[in-house]
Amino acid sequence: MVGKRVNVTGIAVLVFFLLLGVLISIRLTGLGSNFPNPIGGVLQRVLSPLEESILRLGNGIRDNTKVVWNFREVQIQNEALRKQVEQLTGDNLKLKEQILAGIRYTELDQGQFRSPSLDKFAKIGASVINRNPITWYRTLTLNRGSQDGVTANDPVIGALGLVGKIVSVSTTTSEVLMILDGEGQVSALVRGSTGEGTFGIVQGTYTRGSRLTSEGNLQMLFHREDNVNVGDLVFTSGIGGVYPKDVPIGKVREIQLDPSGLLKTAYIDPLVDFDSLEEAYIVKPMEGK
Amino acid sequence: MRYILIAVMFLLSLILPGTVFHFWAWSGIKPDLLMLLTIYMAMHHRLPSSVLWGLGAGLLEDLYLGRYIGMYTLTLAVVAVLSYWLAERWYRDNFLLTTFMVFIVTMVGQVVVAFLSLGAGLYWSVGDIGQLVIGVALYNAILVPVTYPLIHRSFLHGWLRYRPRYER
Repeated sequence: MVGKRVNVTGIAVLVFFLLLGVLISIRLTGLGSNFPNPIGGVLQRVLSPLEESILRLGNGIRDNTKVVWNFREVQIQNEALRKQVEQLTGDNLKLKEQILAGIRYTELDQGQFRSPSLDKFAKIGASVINRNPITWYRTLTLNRGSQDGVTANDPVIGALGLVGKIVSVSTTTSEVLMILDGEGQVSALVRGSTGEGTFGIVQGTYTRGSRLTSEGNLQMLFHREDNVNVGDLVFTSGIGGVYPKDVPIGKVREIQLDPSGLLKTAYIDPLVDFDSLEEAYIVKPMEGK
Repeated sequence: MRYILIAVMFLLSLILPGTVFHFWAWSGIKPDLLMLLTIYMAMHHRLPSSVLWGLGAGLLEDLYLGRYIGMYTLTLAVVAVLSYWLAERWYRDNFLLTTFMVFIVTMVGQVVVAFLSLGAGLYWSVGDIGQLVIGVALYNAILVPVTYPLIHRSFLHGWLRYRPRYER
């Protein structure tokens, strides 16, 4: 019996060109690229109602049983808050310095921030229908797509602050890259207790070391002499053209000095609770403004 | 019936990681159900069919995600070939061995995803990649005792039954 002859060179060339083709295709269809994807659009249109129902059911079950599953966590949180209240009560002098930040927080605590620059934009309300379909990225799927006027790179905000930006759009759905993901960077401004601002870049740490922790995954780099303190609020600066100005991002939780002594890193707690986010707004510039 | 069931399983594999497994994620890690299903398909098909299922499943996921077209197409094709190769050598009725096989193949698959992501210009540290690769592989392996006995039985005697042409 004569066996089939295998052309090793031919296979190697085929594999090489296949790899090359895939790499080129991956490059051309990366995050934020607008390419025609009718099959993906149909898939999203068919599956999104089902995804929405499953996620809503899951959220309902989680919210109604939270007390049972998180009893110990709530208890610890309660004790910590009591200690914090006592400490704050006896700290009137520091409180005076933080009046400005306090006022901003009061606005935020009311559940909706008001930014004059945001009035220049139209907002499209959307519900979250899917979260992180693959582990490698921090993304959300919203139930609004190109037929609602959504386009790639539109900013997305929650009731308390910035969520991220649109990276891909189908007819009925769109995908948001959250600011927690290291691939999304935001030009930002830190406002101290006296109101002065320091510019910088907020970056998600999801791909940098602490990607598997759900808390505190934003950071900013500063020069050592920059006046940035724990408790300062971080807002979008409006520079860069993607995000509108003065959208709250988070609060500085911790500052660490770089080993070189020249730089310091501020770790930021996001204001938006990304794990329980159910509604968001897609921001669109209004025509004529 | 076989193809309807396979289509439903593929669609569920796309939907469930972002919905149900959002609530069952461990430190952000979720299983890669489509990779798991591709491994099962490849274990019960001949090589050309396995590769075709892998390519189809990967392309479906790429189009569904709407970005980096080709990344999962290539990855799941590699996963299908490797699964077929291992299933030819290992006893596929042994569930413990299958669990180990799923762990190994998922790990390789996730390494391919990481490699292609780096090729696409994304920046991830080796530590992060290691954690994710092992995490997803472990989660997939844990799902084997729950899912494999049913699917294996269905491939042999049930609705998913597949007989290559030479056996007919």
